[in-house]
Amino acid sequence: MRHDFIDRYSRLESPVHALDPRAKAIALFAVIIACVTTPANVWWPYAIYAALVLIIANASRLPFSYLLTRMLVVAPFVLVVAVCVPFMHGAGPTYDLGVFSVTQGGLLVLWNVAAKALISVSCLILLSSTTEFADLMHGFERLHVPQFFTTVAAFMYRYIFIIIDEAERMKRARDSRNFRGRWLWHIKVIGHMVASLFLRSQERAERVYQAMSARGFDGSFPRWKETHMHAPDWAFMGIITATALAGRLVVLWK
Amino acid sequence: MHIPDGLLDFKTWGTLYGVSGGTTAYALYKVRNTLDEKKIPLLGITAAFIFAAQLLNFPVAAGVSGHFLGAMLACVLLGPWAGFLVMVVVLAIQCLIFADGGFAALGANIFNMALIAGPVCYFMFAASKSLMNKRLSERTSLLTSLAFFSWLSVVLAGAACAVELSISNVVKLSSGAIFGPIVGVNAIIGIGEAVITTIVVAVVLQARPDLVYSYSGHDVKLPLSEEAV
Repeated sequence: MRHDFIDRYSRLESPVHALDPRAKAIALFAVIIACVTTPANVWWPYAIYAALVLIIANASRLPFSYLLTRMLVVAPFVLVVAVCVPFMHGAGPTYDLGVFSVTQGGLLVLWNVAAKALISVSCLILLSSTTEFADLMHGFERLHVPQFFTTVAAFMYRYIFIIIDEAERMKRARDSRNFRGRWLWHIKVIGHMVASLFLRSQERAERVYQAMSARGFDGSFPRWKETHMHAPDWAFMGIITATALAGRLVVLWK
Repeated sequence: MHIPDGLLDFKTWGTLYGVSGGTTAYALYKVRNTLDEKKIPLLGITAAFIFAAQLLNFPVAAGVSGHFLGAMLACVLLGPWAGFLVMVVVLAIQCLIFADGGFAALGANIFNMALIAGPVCYFMFAASKSLMNKRLSERTSLLTSLAFFSWLSVVLAGAACAVELSISNVVKLSSGAIFGPIVGVNAIIGIGEAVITTIVVAVVLQARPDLVYSYSGHDVKLPLSEEAV
């Protein structure tokens, strides 16, 4: 398996990659919160948020095809909402499309969900693809996220690939023995797979824990480089957050 | 079932962030009192296991598949609060790194899939288990209660999700049109959850009963090697 499939592009070199994780996290979370709370009937704040996302994406030198593929994660939800549009009781004029009709209110719902979901998801993708996982966790720690979470997450990240590989091996072994699970009663096989996956992962955890204790693990990871907020970090955080909040507040004011 | 951003309104996701945050603080306090800080690697690797187990899709009917949730499994194996925290980490990483579930909706997703499907169902499970234990062996009462309450955990998580969607009223559908499909599909997916959870715990009880938190093991003899130590 390719082991860098999550933060595959997090080691690129670009102005966005070089920023402090805290600055990126706060700025992008601000864009998400501003976007999610913006009412649907005004379109131009969404243009501002989309422009911010595009500028950051462009500066980060991430391939656009990669961003687009990752954004497909919200496609199922948007599709479900789109299928439901004809059944929505919205206000406004009704458009007749032959077999069914849609209301303007229903289309507004679809636009609202699609715009918010896409902008929010692209912010999250930008954050995770421009920051190495360890740096991101360290950044959260500096933002006073309890160390319990960052340490558990670090272990999870370290072992997830090994366990997924293990699961893939079991799946291959199962499939090569002509397993064709198509119905709910085939599930017993999967139950046994999950059980042995759990036992193997626990036994691995015990070995890892003993090895780490033997090497003096005290519950925290030593860092070999310290991050600092410099002028560009403050500038990035300030400009992005202020623009997003401005877009949100002007709507409120009107 | 991971709600993306845009489907919930501010009052709903804001409130649920408060509820989930408060519960997380309480769980952290409980776990810190009972769990050695050095046991954190075990929790991290269990979180990775839950994550990998969620990638195993199981068939519901031809074409439609569901995936494993694992909240009840985590609670039964690790205890309700450690299990809850493991689910919080899994959901937060799925949101932040995989963009699976929205950032604003994270509180709601933690509420549904970690709190409702975790400790809330776990305490009902524990009550039912101790009631049944008066007549039946501990193993039987544990597995029977687990089968029912892990099914219920998926149904309740789905129902909570449906309640949030209809309270938010972003998607302008009647409550019935939201509830019917979500609870119906989850009632079927829940069967898969129940079968997998029960088989996993049954196998672990056989192989390593010491790894099951909610099993006191009064009616079982430890494997010889452990007794000899």
